[in-house]
Amino acid sequence: MDRPAGVFDVRYEQDMAVVRTGPQWGVLIGFLILLAVLPLFAGSYFLGFMILTGIALIAVLGLNILTGYAGQISIGHQAFVAVGAYTTAVLMDSFHWNFWATVPLAGIAAAAVGVLFGLPSFRLKMLYLAMSTLAAQFIIIAFFNHAFPDYFHAVSGIRVNRPELAGIDFRNNEAFYYVVIVIAVLMTFFSKNLVRSRLGRAFVATRDNDLASEVIGINIARYKLYAFAIGCFYAGIAGALHATYYRSVNPMQFHLDASIWYLGCLIVGGMGTTVGAVFGVLFLRSIKELVVFVSPVLGGMVSPINAPKIGPALGIISWALVVILFLIFEPRGLAHTWDVLKSRFRHWPFKYAF
Amino acid sequence: MGIFLQFVVGGLFFGGMYTLIALGIVIIYKSTQVFNFAQGWMVTLGAFMLVTLVGKFGVVAGVIAGLAFGALLGLGIERLLMRPLIGQPLIAALLLTIMLAHVFEGINILAWGTFGYEMPVTLPGESIRLGEVVISHALLWGIGVALVAFAAFSFFYWRTLMGRVMRATAEDHQVAQSLGLPVRGVFSLSWVLAGMLSIIAGLFLGVVSGVHYLMYASLIGALAVVLLGGLDSIAGAIVGGMILGVLQALVRGYFSPALADVIPFIILLLILIIKPYGLFGLVRIERL
Repeated sequence: MDRPAGVFDVRYEQDMAVVRTGPQWGVLIGFLILLAVLPLFAGSYFLGFMILTGIALIAVLGLNILTGYAGQISIGHQAFVAVGAYTTAVLMDSFHWNFWATVPLAGIAAAAVGVLFGLPSFRLKMLYLAMSTLAAQFIIIAFFNHAFPDYFHAVSGIRVNRPELAGIDFRNNEAFYYVVIVIAVLMTFFSKNLVRSRLGRAFVATRDNDLASEVIGINIARYKLYAFAIGCFYAGIAGALHATYYRSVNPMQFHLDASIWYLGCLIVGGMGTTVGAVFGVLFLRSIKELVVFVSPVLGGMVSPINAPKIGPALGIISWALVVILFLIFEPRGLAHTWDVLKSRFRHWPFKYAF
Repeated sequence: MGIFLQFVVGGLFFGGMYTLIALGIVIIYKSTQVFNFAQGWMVTLGAFMLVTLVGKFGVVAGVIAGLAFGALLGLGIERLLMRPLIGQPLIAALLLTIMLAHVFEGINILAWGTFGYEMPVTLPGESIRLGEVVISHALLWGIGVALVAFAAFSFFYWRTLMGRVMRATAEDHQVAQSLGLPVRGVFSLSWVLAGMLSIIAGLFLGVVSGVHYLMYASLIGALAVVLLGGLDSIAGAIVGGMILGVLQALVRGYFSPALADVIPFIILLLILIIKPYGLFGLVRIERL
């Protein structure tokens, strides 16, 4: 497709490569090295930001596969994150499992619950399916809130310890950062490659026209369930990391707002692009942090009675408003802006870009 | 038996409120094909606005000003947010209303804070005594208003010229446009009506249970009502609303409040699996 002038593919491997040119390899390796050495000079606060961004990125990548590629809109993604978090927390707390063994199980448990709530997608789509995932959000969280109090400890929350591996203690943020970033990078590459495979093409066909794709021989019911399974597997992994990062799990952490925030990340980044998920999460996370800095300043300007309201209110309004602006003015999201920028850069000094 | 009746009347009141919210969603969906997720949040915003306006201007002028605010709110949403989205996939409009709900929540916190208010309105009339049951007149007002709203909208849709125009627009936007019907006017009018309905619901909910920024949480059930009754059915809004309201009240009374909170969503899931177009909704057949 769009690559620098003079770069031609002469072998199929070249045509299929994700990273095509020398400079791209350079940038990629440089970025990975930057991620690796970040804890050496970044403060604890920034590491916390990166860890939360990584966790949110994993969840949003899953939502991107489910909603962006397969077109099955989900307003209940945080509930599947909750399933993963509770799997890890209960297995570690009540059954004394090793953290590393619970991570894949968290993903599988979330995938199983996701498939269960994805079953209505056989008959439903768009708005109706969105409503059924909304129902999933409330039913799953209510389940954690009221069922099995001996295991879920809804009132006090479950305490989760951070893991150890081969003598390395992951209790401090510097070490835990590597856990999150390694998993996030691996899952980004997996997601990027998954959507280029036969599976990913089937997802896109299902999204773009389900009737037509069924006619050409795609078993759309099966692929919709695959999308739910994979998307919710990502959510489960994110949940396992979420539980260990906060060191405690309670139902309050898995509010509807977070599900919608994930959708917002997807819109801001651009649905149906892996790079969009990364941009979207980084953008909205930065806005969240910005609000944390700005609201005390604004709070100082108004009367002391009104000051405590500013933080929570701005925290909601800021990102929701940003998403609305993106929906109206740039529905294709930051991924499209990024493409335009790259195209401008390549065609410079000529005007034409797309 | 007495306690049962008490639960049923309480449930009918909440059913009435669900009906008012569901009516707003249905009216917008019927004419514009946009599902307004934010209706419950508009009710919360409307209730707060009424508290302020009634406190300032007195009951009658305050409520009229509140209705005007609701109309302006609906008009503003349609003109500023929905119109630029015409031509984009319908899911974009749904996502926009979801985000709008959060903006409203933030505005409520910013303007009115996180503590509860009392609606400074007393409804005329007195509580009714039926045997050993005392039924608050506020509940009866709420049920009555829901019934009146249902009757008024049924009349409007089926007997007036504008109602016919709105039904024609709902059928097919392009055909309506080429027949010279004011499609954009219909869109605006639907949002204005929904905005005013949200104010009315906010008024009665505020009188009965006070106004709080988390009020929307108990109103999300209205989304289940809309799907239970059928997305484009006005009769469905009232039938679904009353069924769900009473069911929720009975479960709350006899089983547990925790289960009652998820009842709307269990119903929602069941109706989506069994009969996705709802009790009275129009079944749309898809073709390639």
